[in-house]
Amino acid sequence: ECGRINLPTPTVHLGDPLTASCIISPNCSHLGPETQIVWKVGRESQPGKRQQRLEDGSQEFTVTIPRLSSPRVLLSCYLRWGHSLQMLDQAEVQAGYPPAAPHNLSCLMNLTTNSLICQWEPGPNSHLPTNFTLKTPFFWVPGSRGNCQTQEDSILDCVPSDGQNHCSIPRRHLQLYQNMGIWVQAENALGTTKSPQLCLVPMDVVKLEPPTLWALPPSPEAAPPQPGCLLLRWEPWKPSLYIEQKCELRHQPRLGEASWDLVGPLLSQTLQYELCGLLPSTAYALQMRCTRWPLPGQWSDWSPSLTL
Amino acid sequence: TGPLPQSFLLKCLEQMRKVQADGTALQETLCATHQLCHPEELVLLGHALGIPQPPLSSCSSQALQLMGCLRQLHSGLFLYQGLLQALAGISPELAPTLDTLQLDTTDFAINIWQQMEDLGMAPAVPPTQGTMPAFTSAFQRRAGGVLVASNLQSFLELAYRALRHFAKP
Repeated sequence: ECGRINLPTPTVHLGDPLTASCIISPNCSHLGPETQIVWKVGRESQPGKRQQRLEDGSQEFTVTIPRLSSPRVLLSCYLRWGHSLQMLDQAEVQAGYPPAAPHNLSCLMNLTTNSLICQWEPGPNSHLPTNFTLKTPFFWVPGSRGNCQTQEDSILDCVPSDGQNHCSIPRRHLQLYQNMGIWVQAENALGTTKSPQLCLVPMDVVKLEPPTLWALPPSPEAAPPQPGCLLLRWEPWKPSLYIEQKCELRHQPRLGEASWDLVGPLLSQTLQYELCGLLPSTAYALQMRCTRWPLPGQWSDWSPSLTL
Repeated sequence: TGPLPQSFLLKCLEQMRKVQADGTALQETLCATHQLCHPEELVLLGHALGIPQPPLSSCSSQALQLMGCLRQLHSGLFLYQGLLQALAGISPELAPTLDTLQLDTTDFAINIWQQMEDLGMAPAVPPTQGTMPAFTSAFQRRAGGVLVASNLQSFLELAYRALRHFAKP
């Protein structure tokens, strides 16, 4: 091996200078009486700065790039050999910024996957490969007073799949009714940072699936609905039957530009509602959504439209 | 309701309904897959295995006493946490249901303990699990599962009535 590039670091701040050296081995048989080295940054030649002979007889040629302005630079060391240039070595230099602190961290407890799903915004591009890790304490500990102070030695790392800005913490790592501190760490070659800590109780951010809504056909036993009225029935999402909820109904004529009319709150014990004030011979779209209540929770999405 | 926050009681009632639903799921699966549908047919086996039933005397209507009821509720849940853990390896079909039941029971015990701490009535030293029954065969684990689930349901029924009483505004 005739020549080898030495880099102080393979990653530098974008805009900073970089000094590198090319070490020419004394046993390189291709050397002429005077060794000439040409540096290239990408395809452009870059004047070398100085040369010195080292104790072991090898020669060190140094170059300084005053300002790295591109996130990825190929630095090559060539030997002038007769009328040609021979590439001895090539090094890839990455330039970027330390990671920005992730922000807008939010979480939802999903009872379908039985996991706490958290998402965040990564912040401006650092131009460097950056690893994001969602972090939270492993266990609730007696005496921790249920606040969000975390013991550093019991931290669970949730590593998102490549390039994703969300991660799911499985049920077995959760205490659904206790405060938990949660944050996101961002790390690249130039540094580590973390988001502000979120302090939450998983069940208090539970998001239910929408209820099932249907219209009850008139039945002989019951009194027929009033003119302009509809008898509706709904059923909360089955896996959430143990959760007290409130729901709300919205309806709008299918044709025309009328906005949604909202009806609520409808408590989850009632399951039936007579909707009145409807226009005759008019097709309506109806939707319903529910949330955990009176305990905190997130509204479900609206149910698929029931068209009547 | 005295010193207990309404939100705590509402959470307890919610957790109870969840644990009861988990327990029902375990019982239904044991009945469907192994024809183990009647805990009353397993009473002798229960005695032989030494499956304990925790007291809830302070939660009974005759001697309703809030702090005592909380302590007994926590101790009972803690015991059931251990019993459910002892049933590990019950069977591949039942394992997910058993895991969910055990996680939810543990969460419920923690919620009670946290509240006892907040009220300054938690013992200085957290409880430690006593000796658990040794389920030495697949059948014993399944039969033990029926008994533990059935006992847990009765335990929660009584506790539910007590907490509903405390939850009345």
